[in-house]
Parts: sequence; C-alpha cells; structure tokens
Amino acid sequence: MTVKIEVIAGGIPHTKIMVGGIIASLVCLYLSYLNVVTGTEMFSFFGGLAVVAALIWGSNTIKVLCSYGIGTGVPSAGMIAFGSGVIAMLLATKFGIAAPIVTLVLAAVVGLILGYLSNEVLNMKIPAMVQSLTELAVVGAFTLMGFAVLMTGGFTFAALTAGSVTIMGLSLPSYQVSFIGGSLIATAFMLGALAVQHPFNACLGPGWTQDRMLMLAAECGFLSMFVAAIMSFALITTGSALISLVVALVGWGYTYMQYIGLSKRDAASWLDAKPIPDVEGH
Amino acid sequence: MESIVFGIGITALTGALATVAGAAEDTESNIGSQGDPNSQVQLAPQMGYLHRIFNKAIAGEPPAYGLWCALGAGLAWAFMAMQLNAVLAIVLGCVLAVFVQGVYSTTAYLGRTASLKKFGQPVFVDILKSMTTVTMAHAFIAIFCTVTLCYLMNAALGHPFPLPLLGLLWGIALGAAGSAVGNPYYGKERQYQNQKFGAGVPIAQSGNIVRYAEAGERNSLDNGFFTAKLGGPASGVCFGLIVFLELWRTILFEKIGAGWGAIIVGILIILIFTIIDRSIEVWARKTYGPYAVPTKEASS
Repeated sequence: MTVKIEVIAGGIPHTKIMVGGIIASLVCLYLSYLNVVTGTEMFSFFGGLAVVAALIWGSNTIKVLCSYGIGTGVPSAGMIAFGSGVIAMLLATKFGIAAPIVTLVLAAVVGLILGYLSNEVLNMKIPAMVQSLTELAVVGAFTLMGFAVLMTGGFTFAALTAGSVTIMGLSLPSYQVSFIGGSLIATAFMLGALAVQHPFNACLGPGWTQDRMLMLAAECGFLSMFVAAIMSFALITTGSALISLVVALVGWGYTYMQYIGLSKRDAASWLDAKPIPDVEGH
Repeated sequence: MESIVFGIGITALTGALATVAGAAEDTESNIGSQGDPNSQVQLAPQMGYLHRIFNKAIAGEPPAYGLWCALGAGLAWAFMAMQLNAVLAIVLGCVLAVFVQGVYSTTAYLGRTASLKKFGQPVFVDILKSMTTVTMAHAFIAIFCTVTLCYLMNAALGHPFPLPLLGLLWGIALGAAGSAVGNPYYGKERQYQNQKFGAGVPIAQSGNIVRYAEAGERNSLDNGFFTAKLGGPASGVCFGLIVFLELWRTILFEKIGAGWGAIIVGILIILIFTIIDRSIEVWARKTYGPYAVPTKEASS
C-alpha cells in the first residue's frame, strides 16, 4: 500500500532539476581536467562546485522519494545514496578521462538494481522508488568524485591513492597520505551523506517550500566544500587549496544569508526574547 | 609485560575519555531535542502546543556524530599530514567540526520552524542564539574526546585503521550509545512529566510536552540541566564501557590462539551482559508490577 503524504505543488519541476544537476556536475568534473591540461592543481575547486550541483539535485530527489511513506527516516536515503555511489565511483576511477561518464553509467546500474530489489523483491511497491534510487546512486557517486577532485586535484585512481610525505625537507611518495589511503573518503562519505539528506529533513512539514530547501542544499554543499578545502591543504599545493577555500567561503556566506532570509519570509513570526504567543483555543 | 601494562594504561585513559564524551553527547542532543524525542517536539505545535524548545533535527544521533567525529578526525589527520603538532591538530580539527555542527543546528531549527507557519510556531531568535552555542560547547567536548581516543588507539596501540575511519566508526558508536541510553530519559521522563508515571503517551496527549517551568516558560537549557544529572552520565558509562572492554579484551587476549582469544572473550562478555540485562528486566517487572496487563489504576 502506498500513501502519498504530500504532493509537490509549484516550484521547478523535478525533471528540470535532474537534467540541470547531471549536466552541471559532469561539466564541473570535466573542467577540473584543466588541472592535467595546464599541469597545475588550480582548477580543483571545480570538484567542489560539482558537489554543490549534485547535492541540489539530490535533495530534490529525496523530496520526491520521501513524500511517500517509505517507512524509514529521511537520513537513510542519504546513506543508501552514498553506499551505492561509492562502489560505482571507486570502480570508475580506473577508467582515466572517461571516469565521470563511467561513474554516471555504473551508478545508474547499481541504483537500478537496488531500486528493483526494494520494489519487486522486498515488495515495497513505491512508484518513485526505482527512479529515485537510481538518481541517488548517481548523486552519491558524483558527490564523492567531486570531493576527490577537490582534495586531490584529479579523478583517476592513481591520483586518489598517491600522496607524498615530507620528512626533514625530503619529499617521499606515500600511499598512506592520500585520499583513499588516509581514509579521507570516509569523511567525504559522511559529509555528502548528511548534506544530501539535511535540506529536506530540515525543511519538511506543511510549510515546505522548494526554493528554501534548494538554497539550504547549496548552503550544505558550500559548507562541506569549505571543510574539504581545508583538508585539501594536505594533498595539493597551498595556492590551489586557497582558491577552493575562498570560493567555498564566498558561496557559503551568500547561500547562508539567503537561506536565513527565506526562513524569515516563510516563518510565522520572528521573535526575539518574547513569550509563547497565544493561540486560539489553548 | 611492559607493553601490556602500557596498553592497559592507554585503555583506561580511552575509557575515561569515552565516558566524558558520552555524557557530553547526550546532554548536547537533549538540549537540541535530537534523536527520537524530536518527533514529539516537532509534533507539539501541530497539536496547538507552541513551545520555546530548541528543535534541531539534523539526522539520528549516530549519523550526525559519525559526521562530526569523522570530520574532526579527518581535519586532524590533514593537519598532522601538514606536520602540525598532534594536540594542536586535534583541537583545530574539532573546532572546525563544531563550526559545521553549529551551522547545521541553526539551519535545522530555522527550517523546521519555518515549515510550521500554518500552526503559528514562531522562530525565537534568542533560543537560536543561546541554545546553539551551548550545544556547540557540549559537542566540542564530545568530539574532542572521541577524536583523542581514536588518535590514542591509532598512535599508541597501533590500530591499523587511519584516523578518519576510526573517527567514523567510534562517532557512530558514540551517537548510538547516547541515543539508546540517554534518549528514553529525556523523551519519557522529561517531556512527559505532566503525565502519570509509566502511563505511556496516549494519542490524546501527543505533543503535550512540558513547556512551562515553575516560573515562566521552559527552554531546552532546562532540559539539558535535567538530563545532565542521570541521562548524561548513564550514556557516558555506556560508551565508556564499550570502549574500555573492547580495548581491554584486545590488549590482554589478542596473543592467545592467534587472535581467537580476543574473539572468544568478546563473545563471553556479550553473554555475561545478556544475562545481566535479562535478570534486571525480570527483577524490574517483578518489583514494579506486570508489564502488559494494565491495572485499573493505570487505565484510569
């Protein structure tokens, strides 16, 4: 039995957000390839922008999925997105320059299988399930790849596992000081998983509005990008990491102020140190 | 022998850190009404009970603390990779993780409250300012203790996992301990103090949480004050025992039978705790009356 609790009323249609999210993430991931072309790491911040684009799309997908009573909390949707996405993303990094496209295809396949299993085998019979899980797997994979690019400057397996450790001014190659060897991927996993579920989880309720939720998604993306940029100081050059940091801070400041403005617009009232107002009948 | 004594010393230290972390985590989540008591705080305005209680729904406590601790550990790892002193690196990492926690708290409160416009629940800016800072302070203690114990495991005991992965695992364990032990005390004993003891929450009373104090209106700081007495320390003992026993069995029995000794002792510990839990449950049912059949007094 499926009961739809809320309907999507107004706002940008989901298909439009999905197409925009895929294109923006892919373009940003490929723009980071300028690192290889120019031989620098200055374009790593495009990875962070890919994260923001993917998270905006993902938060709207979660809204579509969780509008049905799926029987679990909203955060579980974020977890499954990244649990399925990490497999596809890691496998795809072996494909060199084709990695972002391969990620898209592989994650879609993984999500499709998971959606089929939950709908047909576990008999959940939720209409949006297959499409949403497919989308979420791609969102998870793109976000992780974006974080990888932001922190290491590349999306190939070699870039993700190679690092260097400086001992007494001597630079030695080290597997342990890398995105995967140092398990920064675990931090990226949680950063993304909470950021993708938080916008809908925080904004749900009868007064839900789409623009406020999407603004919060962008805010979560830039906030995650900010801390990821700080971690990137360990793996890429200081100048390149500074560029990412500045982009993240500017983006976060703008979206956070916008979000507070939108909350002010939507709230019943905005009180400072006032008692509980009287409501009729109580 | 010396290495075992050293290991036991580190084990005791991590156990103590975990106890502090658990107590701080539970108090933090109770001030923020995170975890399962959140549903009643969220429901209250819809039933007409407007309140001045902080409502920061970020996720369940385990995923939320999984992120804060993984983030603190990841940042500390990165600072250490930049050749920073370990103590400074952990403190800086935890400060930044707490900043993220604070931002998430404000957006969660604003978002949830703005979506309740239909029921007239206002956004209280003073609540936002005073509660967020208090939760951030408690979260810092919890994250700092957890990341430090992860660092001790990694650096002193030679755990093979890198710091961020340990932070993720122990962060989730910390959130789970605080959620399982501390939340019933906040959710049932505090929010429903105006109900008969043990009455449960009848549907008619849904959302009728404690909103007024002896004088004036309650906010979440009072809830933190209340639960810090029993709920917080209980969560701390729970998480401290988990960390202590886990390391204790590994340090003492790992050498026996190529690692199987530690596994067998682990299973024994689980069995002992199962027996203790069961006997406490049976004792409580015998002492405080039947579990399922409601008596006349309870149903009135």
